[in-house]
Amino acid sequence: MPEIGTPALVYMVAALIVPFVRPATLRQILLLAVPVLGLLTFWQLPYGTYGTFNLMNMHVGLMRLDALSYVFGLIFSLAAFLALLYAWHVRDTVQQVATLLYAGAGLGAVFAADLVTLFVFWEGTAIASVFLIWARRTEGAYATGMRYLIMQVGSGVILLAGIVLFYRETGSIAFSRMDLESPATWAIFLAFGIKCAFPLLHNWLQDAYPAATITGTVTLSAFTTKLAVYALARGFPGTELLIYIGATMTLFPVFFAAVENNLRRVLAYSLNNQLGFMVVGVGIGTPLALNGTVAHAFCHILYKALLFMSVGAVMYRTGTSKASELGGLYKSMPLTMIFCVVGAMSISAFPLFSGFISKSLILSASADTGHFFVWLALVVASVGVLEHSGIKIPYFTFFAHDAGHRVKEAPFHMLLAMGITAALCIGLGVFPSLLYGILPYAVDYTPYTVTHVVTQLQLLLFAGLAFAVLIRTGLYPAEIRSVNLDFDWTYRRLLPAALSGVAYLVQGTWRFASRIVMGRVDSLIAGVYRAHGPQGPLARTWPTGSMVLWIAVLLGMTLVLAYI
Amino acid sequence: MTNHPNGKTEGMPPLARLLSGFDKPRNVTRLFYLLLAVCIALGLADFLYHKHGYFAVEEFPAIYGLFGFVAYAAVIFLAKGLRLIIRRPEDYYEPFAIDTEDERAAGSDPEATGGKPHA
Repeated sequence: MPEIGTPALVYMVAALIVPFVRPATLRQILLLAVPVLGLLTFWQLPYGTYGTFNLMNMHVGLMRLDALSYVFGLIFSLAAFLALLYAWHVRDTVQQVATLLYAGAGLGAVFAADLVTLFVFWEGTAIASVFLIWARRTEGAYATGMRYLIMQVGSGVILLAGIVLFYRETGSIAFSRMDLESPATWAIFLAFGIKCAFPLLHNWLQDAYPAATITGTVTLSAFTTKLAVYALARGFPGTELLIYIGATMTLFPVFFAAVENNLRRVLAYSLNNQLGFMVVGVGIGTPLALNGTVAHAFCHILYKALLFMSVGAVMYRTGTSKASELGGLYKSMPLTMIFCVVGAMSISAFPLFSGFISKSLILSASADTGHFFVWLALVVASVGVLEHSGIKIPYFTFFAHDAGHRVKEAPFHMLLAMGITAALCIGLGVFPSLLYGILPYAVDYTPYTVTHVVTQLQLLLFAGLAFAVLIRTGLYPAEIRSVNLDFDWTYRRLLPAALSGVAYLVQGTWRFASRIVMGRVDSLIAGVYRAHGPQGPLARTWPTGSMVLWIAVLLGMTLVLAYI
Repeated sequence: MTNHPNGKTEGMPPLARLLSGFDKPRNVTRLFYLLLAVCIALGLADFLYHKHGYFAVEEFPAIYGLFGFVAYAAVIFLAKGLRLIIRRPEDYYEPFAIDTEDERAAGSDPEATGGKPHA
């Protein structure tokens, strides 16, 4: 392949061509060819920086290929291919173009060697991806897309502010390791944090992902947040603050996921929790931990896509993704059920599945560096993962109460996409060296030790036993149609309420003040009118007699004064 | 196991028919005891090998299992408590949310009937 600067270019050119390709099958084949071509542009290239030029004395590098960006480029290309295969049936040009531009921007950002290129693609992911939400074409999706866009573009604007400050400070726009010591780097850190769904900045994720189309959510789950993880791993490895942010991120979504009814929102909380593991890895910052972060991002993109695909396939056939309305679907969609269970076991980190070989790197790194409480939080969070993604998703979709859906198995192309993804999840779990071989640092780690396998199985199966006990005793929380408040309540309800409260107060004060002032002015005018108006005493006509009388009085007084 | 007769297996894909045996309450109970037996075996397995832990607390026999059980139950009970505070009707954010909209708008099969809550 000729060297073309950045693989994002392939996606963008394709996005220009695709709308004009009419035959549906031809268009789908073209779509599937894009990630393959994109991959070929960097697949065999030696490490280095490509597409470099000077722009107004700033050194721009469109593509930096090194061990870190290579892994992310690889998995992003793979995710784009799988998402497009899964969306083979979609005939909506908007979604097709948005998927290409979004994946292309994601790749462009991962390969960016400088902060300006990063910013351009960073905003590109925001703007392209919102169309996957709006493609639902409902009022709710429009409003949700707007909230999503405000957060995402907000992240971009803060990033831009950070870059400008950073350039003034250092005279360079190179994207490399930074320290949290100036407003510039704090702004960049915050921008990454919004996209990475840090605690309290996370709600765009759970709000927007369940609102996208079935195929759109599969695409969304891969790029935005993992781009942020990549950016953190590139810019802020070893930043201690990230350890505590990450640990919090692994824990709190667990509780929200347990009582959430919308299964795609459960998966969004679960995504948030998985990001936490990666952020902890970045925060620890040792080679083992960073390897763990990269490996976990790689595995996570696959099994999370698989879970979204299987819930999406169910939604495609039944028309709902709510746990309260699903159940017993193994009878109609047994293959989808098997793929879902593979995804569930991968995310729960069962031995021989991909999560086991990647998450353990991060847990070992946290234990190695003596972070006992962080390690403990991660173990608790692992149990939480088993709860909401390992058990809840497959159990309430395919087993539990039979909701009476008698539908066809998922379409062939969906099964194919899920099958390939499931095979990759198991393949990576069985042959960890496949993944360990491409990690940024040399790996000296054996996941399959007796201790590790037995303790992990104990953790998971005893937790499964707890689930069985709770279900049999009826203590497990029932699936109920509801929404649950999260931090987004503050800007969806509290802030608008506070603003309308302030508006009411201001309005009331204004009315009161203007009433008082107007009253005073009115009475003043009325007083003047009383004196000077047509009926006022000063406007009266005076009889001549009284005039003579008053002159006589004045004369008399003058005489008296003169003689005294 | 509400309004739909289990037992009826015709029209199911072969794979599903294979699994339908697990729907019978008797088999569910058997599965439960099987899981219990596997758990006990795993717990006892801790005495059979030399554990390589990072922290002293890991040396305790079957600690991972016990911890997993307790942590799972704790997560569930805390989540139930949390639900008391955060639960709202589904139309709480209407009309600026997708929660009460027909989910088939997300691109379902034209034949999809949509969801109905359990009886």
